[in-house]
Amino acid sequence: MESSTIPISNWQLAFTVLLVLITGGISAFLKLGLLKPLLWGTVRTFVQLSLIGYVLTYVFKTNNIWLVVFMITVMCIIASKTAVKRTPNVPDYPSALAFAALLASTYLVGTIVVVLIISPEPWYSARIAIPIFGMILGNSMNGIALSLDRLYGDVRARVAEVEAMLTFGATPWEAVRSSVRESVRSGMTPTINSLMVVGLVSLPGMMTGQILGGADPRDAVRYQIVVMLMIAAAVAIGCLLLVGLSYKKMFNRDGALQSFMLQSRK
Amino acid sequence: MLFSFKDITYTLGFEQTREITVSGSVADGEALVVRGPSGAGKSTLLRILARLQSSGEGDVFLGEKNWLEIPATAWRVSVHYLAQKPALFDGTVAANLAIPFETSVCSKKVFDTELAKTIMNKILLPVSLWEQDARTLSGGEAARLTFVRALLIEPKILLLDEPTAALDENARHAFYDVLKDWLEKEGRAAVLISHINDYEGLKRVSFLDI
Repeated sequence: MESSTIPISNWQLAFTVLLVLITGGISAFLKLGLLKPLLWGTVRTFVQLSLIGYVLTYVFKTNNIWLVVFMITVMCIIASKTAVKRTPNVPDYPSALAFAALLASTYLVGTIVVVLIISPEPWYSARIAIPIFGMILGNSMNGIALSLDRLYGDVRARVAEVEAMLTFGATPWEAVRSSVRESVRSGMTPTINSLMVVGLVSLPGMMTGQILGGADPRDAVRYQIVVMLMIAAAVAIGCLLLVGLSYKKMFNRDGALQSFMLQSRK
Repeated sequence: MLFSFKDITYTLGFEQTREITVSGSVADGEALVVRGPSGAGKSTLLRILARLQSSGEGDVFLGEKNWLEIPATAWRVSVHYLAQKPALFDGTVAANLAIPFETSVCSKKVFDTELAKTIMNKILLPVSLWEQDARTLSGGEAARLTFVRALLIEPKILLLDEPTAALDENARHAFYDVLKDWLEKEGRAAVLISHINDYEGLKRVSFLDI
């Protein structure tokens, strides 16, 4: 692949601050109160991405399998913490379960894609593995957050029906089966939607990146197809695993709903 | 005694908690009426007896058997709790009556549509409702429908939480007629909460005040 990226100089990068000023101007004009988070977000974007640029340079150069595994695992930890933080229906949800679900689904799908489909040399090539796993994680994270929130929200909303099922002798699984189905569906919907409109509404970020980097669009498209399908698989597995691990936590040892499920959200 | 509970202990309230200990029993064919002011913990007692929530201490016996000897899923069918707010599912009246038979515990039982229609008739629910969307039923109709559904799974003990609260005079009489007939058969008893003293149609009634 020829590399004909047009580099962005420091001055050109500094010029993008102009874009922040526009956003900030709108926020100030409408008193959206977003000025502080906007500035903080801008600083974080600069710092986080610059740092990761150095880290990636180092990781790609050393190309050590344990370093790759370590990085991906750290990414899983951050993604699982983020996923459970913004689920208003589930206060104090243990991120360890989200971590387990993300770790399993990401490694399973990511390994298939990197080793079997792309097959770089060596097979654990950091330059391939880290971006691929990163894309899987970014999407799975949103998927599991949606399905987790939906699971608890749905069971709370249907508490009377769930308890009625229990009085008919239902096991926890039988009592919440339909909510489980709904929650996996809601976690997967954004991914399915993106499969429908990809290329029509927007060019996906990865493909755009490859094209800007000078790759042949036809090659970029092939990569994008692999990426879309791998994301769908990873989101499906991740949601299923997490919901499977989670629904039992709503019940006590006797298979009745925990009292927090019957009370108002705190 | 067909059904008895001993020293069931539970707490009520959040900041000022009260601990309650109750014992009681009900014989074959009998109805035990639980009385007490609002917030006294009558519903909580019934939910504990149905194992829908856990209690601190105490033992419950169905016949000779301690409740811990019976799996919770089977227990909840035998000692069946009927909530005050009727729980209906998406679908027709018929589909709602069939729902209990989807659980593995009840899957061996057969959904007897003829029996269902007979009981519906007795309790003043016209059989023409059969194909109607259950979500469109009135409060009183819904309450009676869930009662019919409870009878179909053949419980031994019925725990009824204000079953007549949403019913008018006629429906209330019909309800107690059906309950009285149900209690006739051997091995059945009921525990019920009622605010209005309207259980006079029942033959054998005892009381528990909490």
